Amino acid sequence: MEEGISNMNERLLTQRESEADFVRKRFDLAVLLIIFLATVAAAWIHQQLFAGDWSFWIDLKDRMWWPVIVPIATICFPAAVQAALWTHWKFPAGATMVCFGLLLGQWLNRIINFWAWAKFPINLVFPETLLPQAIVLDGILMITNNFVVTALIGGELWGWLFYPSNWPMIAPYHVPVEYHGQLLSVADLIQYQYIRTSTPEYLRMVETGTMRSFAGGVLGVSAFFSGFISILMYFIWWYMGYFFAKPIYLKAKRI
Amino acid sequence: MPSVVERNAIFSIEVPEKSAFSLKLPLLGIGLIFFLNTIDYVYQRLFAFTKGLDYSTQQYQQYWMSVLYAELIIEALIALFVVVYLWQTRDRNLENLSPAEELKRYWIWGSFVLMYAFAVFIAAYYAEQDATWHQTVIRDTSFTPSHIIEFYQSYPVYIILGLTFLMYALTRLPQFAKATSLPLVILVASPLMIFPNVGLNEFGHTRWFMEEVFSAPLHWGFAIFAWGALSLYGVLVTVCPRVYSLIDQVYLGAEAPSASIVIENPEACINPLFCSCERNALPNK
Repeated sequence: MEEGISNMNERLLTQRESEADFVRKRFDLAVLLIIFLATVAAAWIHQQLFAGDWSFWIDLKDRMWWPVIVPIATICFPAAVQAALWTHWKFPAGATMVCFGLLLGQWLNRIINFWAWAKFPINLVFPETLLPQAIVLDGILMITNNFVVTALIGGELWGWLFYPSNWPMIAPYHVPVEYHGQLLSVADLIQYQYIRTSTPEYLRMVETGTMRSFAGGVLGVSAFFSGFISILMYFIWWYMGYFFAKPIYLKAKRI
Repeated sequence: MPSVVERNAIFSIEVPEKSAFSLKLPLLGIGLIFFLNTIDYVYQRLFAFTKGLDYSTQQYQQYWMSVLYAELIIEALIALFVVVYLWQTRDRNLENLSPAEELKRYWIWGSFVLMYAFAVFIAAYYAEQDATWHQTVIRDTSFTPSHIIEFYQSYPVYIILGLTFLMYALTRLPQFAKATSLPLVILVASPLMIFPNVGLNEFGHTRWFMEEVFSAPLHWGFAIFAWGALSLYGVLVTVCPRVYSLIDQVYLGAEAPSASIVIENPEACINPLFCSCERNALPNK
């Protein structure tokens, strides 16, 4: 009799444990989806409004401003998300998650809207990738478990790696061509064929002034500068993420 | 292996039915948002470039301004209904809330947060779609076919969902019933403020032509308010320990602070270990 009751209790206990496991997994799933969607959305808005133009158009993907502006603007959310996810859950892929989601959203929009709706050719509007730098950033944080080292090494590499990791995609568009007696890049030429609103009355060329007489050496300088500022941005945004991920309650006197 | 006393404690607690944690609610909400945006997609493809290029025409008024007016009226009514309904049906006996009921409420609340996250993602999509429109067409009104969907539909949808889970938390969850959670307020209020920032944006666009530069400083207000979405992590760090301690209490008989204690001092009831890698080091595990 007692043995029977004991067996029944065991079965009930096992059932309870399995139900608890089921509920825990449901909440885990919801939390993962919420984190992914909300973080990527905010990072995407941030990226559009600080570096969007350099992402939208191939002719803006130059050797001077693109490697400076895009890494500096886009390291913010990966750093903040690393601060939140690594500090609390030791989740080792915060930066990769942000950059993957960003790329997914960008491609969705470039195909659905820029290409299929406004009829721009996809090779004028394809986005850059940040995934290689993000994997490096996550890898450094995971190995060192130290955000200062991640900022110093990962931040610098974030700037340095941006141009090389995108080079295979943009190289064909930097090939020089002669057009009406003017030396242009293929990217410039595509832009001339697809005039955008507010394209100035003069035909805009990105690589102007000393840029062309610098014999291409400006790229290294841009990447180095970009890496330096990315380090600073990493620190600032790590603390942003750290602050926002605190369970703070306001204490106010009740009237 | 739990002792006899612990086993009795386990079996004496009410357990919610499994269906209380169904995916139906979040999937239904996400499905509705997706369906609404599919309609938008088709409508824009049919009438944006054909009827939406000149604000002064009759067809613009008919095809686009009528959509705007309908959106604004419907959204205002839904927002009002949600706030009033959740307030009127608030739990007036929250101190005696059972752990099982609290756990069920967290699932409903989380479902709305998930819908909100999806709606914010859709809003980000429309923000970039707006770039497509304005770099293709010179605007002659603030109410462009892209804005009518972006600013006056996709933003209000996530704002209403934000208000929904805020009101739900304030009226039904002990953690938020009395004390003010800063991350929760920021999570709702900061992305909400993107909408009023439209006023600044439109004012600027009446003065300067800036379509060439999407990253113009006039637009940065939108991004700054989007940063507030990071407070999602603060909300999760607040809520997760409570949810996981409730699961352990309801299903495994572990101890957890009662609703009345949580209402009075929610901050002290947060045990971050419940929501971290060190969770397995907790007693009862």
